[in-house]
Amino acid sequence: MGADRRVAGLVLLLGVVSPGCVSPSMQSDLARVRELTHLPLPQQMAEARDVSTGFPKEVGQLLQQPLTADAAVRIAFLNNRELRASLRDLGVARGQLLQAGVLPNPQVELELRQQEDPSLPFEPQTEIRVEYGLSQAVLSVVRARAARNELEAARYRTAAFVVELGYTVRAAFYAFQAAQQRVAIATQALDAFAAARDASQALFEAGNVPELDVATQDAAYESARATVAQLELEVLERREPLQRLLGLHGEATAWTVTETLPRMAGEEPSFENLERRAVTASLELAETQRRLEGAAQRAGLTRVEGWLPEVSVGVIAERKSPVAPAHGEWEWGGVLHFTVPLFDRRQGTRSAYEAEFDALMERYQGMAIDVRSAAREARNRVQSTALRARQYQQVLLPARQRVMRQTLLQYNAMQLGIFQVLQVRREQLDAELTYVELLREYWTAHAALEALLAGRRTGASMGGPMGAGGPSSLAGGTEAGGH
Amino acid sequence: MDRRSFLKWSGLATGAAMVEQAPGKPPPAQVVAPGGQVGVVTPNGATLPMKRSGKVKVGHLIAGEFEHEFAPGMRALAWGYNGRTPGPTIEVTEGDRVRFYVTNRLPEPTTVHWHGIILPNGMDGVAGLTQRPIPPGETYVYEFTLRHPGTFMYHPHFDEMTQMALGMMGMFIVHPKVPVGPRVDRDFVLMTHEWRLDVGARRPDPNEMTDFNVLTFNSKSFPATEPLLVGKGERVRIRLGNLSAMDHHPIHLHGLSFKLTATDGGYVPPSAQIPETTVLVPVGSTRVIEFVPDEPGDWAMHCHMTHHVMTQMGHDAPNMVGADTRKLDHRMSRVMPDFMTMGTLGMGGMGEMEMAMPPNSLPMRGGPGPFSYIDMGGMFTILKVRDDPDRADPQGWYAHPAGTVAGPASPQQMSADGIDVSDGNPER
Repeated sequence: MGADRRVAGLVLLLGVVSPGCVSPSMQSDLARVRELTHLPLPQQMAEARDVSTGFPKEVGQLLQQPLTADAAVRIAFLNNRELRASLRDLGVARGQLLQAGVLPNPQVELELRQQEDPSLPFEPQTEIRVEYGLSQAVLSVVRARAARNELEAARYRTAAFVVELGYTVRAAFYAFQAAQQRVAIATQALDAFAAARDASQALFEAGNVPELDVATQDAAYESARATVAQLELEVLERREPLQRLLGLHGEATAWTVTETLPRMAGEEPSFENLERRAVTASLELAETQRRLEGAAQRAGLTRVEGWLPEVSVGVIAERKSPVAPAHGEWEWGGVLHFTVPLFDRRQGTRSAYEAEFDALMERYQGMAIDVRSAAREARNRVQSTALRARQYQQVLLPARQRVMRQTLLQYNAMQLGIFQVLQVRREQLDAELTYVELLREYWTAHAALEALLAGRRTGASMGGPMGAGGPSSLAGGTEAGGH
Repeated sequence: MDRRSFLKWSGLATGAAMVEQAPGKPPPAQVVAPGGQVGVVTPNGATLPMKRSGKVKVGHLIAGEFEHEFAPGMRALAWGYNGRTPGPTIEVTEGDRVRFYVTNRLPEPTTVHWHGIILPNGMDGVAGLTQRPIPPGETYVYEFTLRHPGTFMYHPHFDEMTQMALGMMGMFIVHPKVPVGPRVDRDFVLMTHEWRLDVGARRPDPNEMTDFNVLTFNSKSFPATEPLLVGKGERVRIRLGNLSAMDHHPIHLHGLSFKLTATDGGYVPPSAQIPETTVLVPVGSTRVIEFVPDEPGDWAMHCHMTHHVMTQMGHDAPNMVGADTRKLDHRMSRVMPDFMTMGTLGMGGMGEMEMAMPPNSLPMRGGPGPFSYIDMGGMFTILKVRDDPDRADPQGWYAHPAGTVAGPASPQQMSADGIDVSDGNPER
């Protein structure tokens, strides 16, 4: 990029060619965003595409298989319209950069005047004046430098958007996957409720229990059914945000995802020098830094403008009327215009730019504090969710399985009845339900940390909601209907 | 009693008492007391060795914890005397001066109360009332003269709820100087008891008040109860003691009737001895019955409370009898493939079902029988009446003469006798 800058500066300084020819293309914008995010962004992002032309071929291929989180992110990169719009928004900054480097146009003045002797036939005397503003030509170089920082800031902004999109897709994916998994577990719990209902019905028909037991089990089953219906709705509601993020419509909306959330990784991410790494990687800070540089350059430019007189030089050619005596020849002369910066020294504008700079600087420093805090927060979330999810994965779920196994043994020994067995089964499924929610929280926190280290704070690391889970319990309070 | 018979019984008594009986086949009845009174046999148990020290008979009881097997497949940490529950049977004679050393190896104090025996107040073993409790690790000595014959018991009187619930008890037999009633050929002691041992647990629960699930004769549950082997025509005495926490036990014998000849309060006069087939043994009491069997065979002897012949029966399962569970079974195959509905056809087959069971448990288990599985357990044993008991195998089954075992009815026989089962109602 340094070489690009040097080349662009040289070109502007020389004013030999139009700055538009040296502006980075969209491909170069994409390449720069790819470089900033360290993500394998597909080249197709820069290609123009109409909705009616369908989806990129790769999207179709990815949709053929149950989606993973990585595949979903890839589709979003290929297909998310907001991301494509963001890339194209870079053209605005690029255009402003082009404009900033443009040299001022020369001023040409043509004057025709009646000769002094009105008795002579009408043959006007001609004066041509050509002037060029030297001050603006020199200042355009500085102005282009400020605009270049704005373009770079815009690229950082787009890169941050890419990283955030990746996180958002992952979070939405895990939310949908967890919702789907919860429904599967809840359906098993519903079966357990149905079994308790069937058992109480069979016992009632055999004359062994009062109708109260049947009514109680019926009510418990119906409550569970309502809960499952709520979870089923949640699946649908979790699906649509993902649909939007992936930019899918029509037949392409019939995708599926892998059935279960991945188990926790063996090792947690490294937290060494986390705050420093987050600050170094922060695309927001880098963007603000570019904007600071731009503001500083604009303030400097204004200062120069304030003290620098408007200087323009020109050439004057005058030709008296040909009919006038001793006239008809061209006379040449020069002109020098300059303003005296006595009153308007651009104080107001300069003050505004300086204030903007100061405000940006405050924001920059505040942002650095926030990024460090977000790093700690992201670490805490990952550690806490990892701890809890691992406890479920390694201790609690096996413990629940053990309870189930021992309950079945006690049932075999006729120490317990079917209702207690089913209750324990529901409690086991309840633990699995909580585990799924913890896994979702863990993977979401994990994705947020990765996004942070890729340069972008996300909702999860800015105190935003981690995503709501469904009902946390399906165990039900009906102990047993038969005893 | 003449000098010859005195020498005979006193020598044998000492010899017999010094050697604890080995488990398995009971030793032949031996004369241990005046008048040819035979020594008591404690099925699954032992008799306390007694030493002579001058004119005093000396015994030593050590209270402590040990692992006790109720039946193969079910063991638990119990408390008792000399490493067993019930403690060894004390067997002495009216007029004996006895001295008992009691060593406490429990984690808490204890005492020994000589239940039913009339003795000096300071020897009665009631902690706080008649003595200081014996601290852990210490040995106390009791000494008294046995002035009354009878069937008595011994047990702690400190934290008795816990100590007795964990197995601390024993029988105390005082033979009369002059035999009362006809001489018996066999003399057994059976102590009834009840325990709460949760399925899969390893220590009885002394906090239980009502829901006992292990019922025992001499702390053994069928099929581990040793049968009582007797001869046809022999006079048999069975001394029953009950130190259960809460329940009386109606002990029922098959194949004979008996008479109640004594309690822990004394002998029942012959005029008051009425024939019975079931004797109720109240908590804290002994009952002595006598009979002469004349029908050989394997006769059940058990508590007639039906839950008392069900080892580790669960009381929390719903009543499944008669339930049509086809729909439920289909559902459960999805919810829990390992689940199997039980009890819909009754519970008689539970003991034979091949299912995974919790370790160290005998839920609803009985034992093998000569014809099929005996689906009773707990307070159940077998009185084996044989023509030649001293040669018979105590574990062997009775060989029934042909035509003396109930079997399937043939249609021809039913028809000949006018039995019609087509409508299931013999009254029509």
